[in-house]
Amino acid sequence: MSRITHILKELSRNLYRNPGTALGSFLSLMFLFLLFDLYWVAAGTSEEFYTRLLSQLNMEVFISEEVADSTLPAIEEAIGAVEGVNSVEYISRPKAREELSRLVGIDLLVGYDSTNPLPRSFILNISPEYLTTVGMAGIETEISKRPDISDIFYSKQWLEKAESTRATIRNFGLALGVLILLTALISSVNNIRLSSRARAVGFHQMRLLGAGRFFLAVPFLIEGLLIGGISAAAGWLLIYYAKQEITFAQFELIVPTLEEILIFCGTMAMLGIISGYLGIRKLLR
Amino acid sequence: MAQNVVVELNNVYLKSDRGGQVFRDLSFKLEAGGTAVITGAAGSGKTSLAELVIGLQLAQSGSVEVMGETIRPVKAKIIKRNRRKIGGVGGIFDLMPSLTVAENITFPLVLSGERRKVQRERLLKMLTEFSLLKQAGEYPRSLTRVENTLVQLARASVAHQPLILIDEPLAGLDRKTYQRIFEYLISVSLSGRSMIILSSDTLPQQLPNADYYQIVDGALV
Repeated sequence: MSRITHILKELSRNLYRNPGTALGSFLSLMFLFLLFDLYWVAAGTSEEFYTRLLSQLNMEVFISEEVADSTLPAIEEAIGAVEGVNSVEYISRPKAREELSRLVGIDLLVGYDSTNPLPRSFILNISPEYLTTVGMAGIETEISKRPDISDIFYSKQWLEKAESTRATIRNFGLALGVLILLTALISSVNNIRLSSRARAVGFHQMRLLGAGRFFLAVPFLIEGLLIGGISAAAGWLLIYYAKQEITFAQFELIVPTLEEILIFCGTMAMLGIISGYLGIRKLLR
Repeated sequence: MAQNVVVELNNVYLKSDRGGQVFRDLSFKLEAGGTAVITGAAGSGKTSLAELVIGLQLAQSGSVEVMGETIRPVKAKIIKRNRRKIGGVGGIFDLMPSLTVAENITFPLVLSGERRKVQRERLLKMLTEFSLLKQAGEYPRSLTRVENTLVQLARASVAHQPLILIDEPLAGLDRKTYQRIFEYLISVSLSGRSMIILSSDTLPQQLPNADYYQIVDGALV
């Protein structure tokens, strides 16, 4: 029997001698990871939702009444040159009236044909990286310095609320992630500690015969790797199955990319190796 | 230490975990191919001597050299290497409960990385020599005490370990097994391998090439 065969046999002994412990560990880790996966999907989906809403966020810049129409192209050019502004669209008084009619459903300005009271404005399309409270405020400050601008409007409160919600989701995810990783680590360490304690006598004898720490540790490290990696992968398989079975009319579930999932499973497998080492550390002293 | 010396203890002082003095200025030398029979009352320190040799305990002062290497706590690799050259039977040595008899016997060969063919050949030889063919696939829990001792002896010989350390080899054996194990001890003694026998009682028969010692008040006389 080669060393590798011996190590693999030890690994299989660990698993089939304590199937309940191994299965319990696998299931508890899988459900922990599934919880995290679900949160990941929910966070990704809500992020996509917010991003889509944010992309529709514009800034309206109203032009002072006394400004002559002839100077508008120069103002449009100057506003378009402000950092963060993607494009500028001019809204004339008649166009503003059309928009209002479209929104309300009737023309509220019948009889005001010669004295349209609606202001002229520019609709600014903002670069995605500036669609933040800080970015938008910076653009607002820059444009409001101009004397030919009477007012600037954008959904400031909604943006603040959206940012606060996204930050909450992100922070909660981070805390949940740390908590789940810690729970997974403790659970896996205890499982490996239990199965290694059951074989302490054999361990001691192997060491007396000259077995090295690495030789003794490897089966437990592989066990940790397998349980960590497979339970993480099983969690994602359940998510994929659920995604195929459940469809939402209003939005689509955003699942991480295959590369992200593989990195996640790999990280959990590494976590398993660490838990394997921590589980038998005392026995190796 | 000379090349032909397998174990050498010089002026060793050792305290037990409880603080009592186990060895006081103990010195001992075993040359290659030699046999040392060390007797002593229960608690006199026979097992502690075995533990010193395999590096399980470290002397408070004095030196312990095994196979030309000084046993020190920082030299874990040396301790590990030396342990592979020692075949241990009885006392602190036991079988590994999760391995079968065959796996227990070949374990030293697995550690030394012997080829499978060699492992099979040596295993067959040991199983035949110690009449353990029927028990090859069994686990230690189903063995009798005598069979357990025989498996340990087979394991201690399978890798041609240059030093065999036997703790209480003949205690509680029936006459037939006693004679058989004693014959084995004689064959080892004549084989050119070194052997340390630790026993509470003096051996009723003389072993060839053997030096006899007794542990009295923490020293060898």
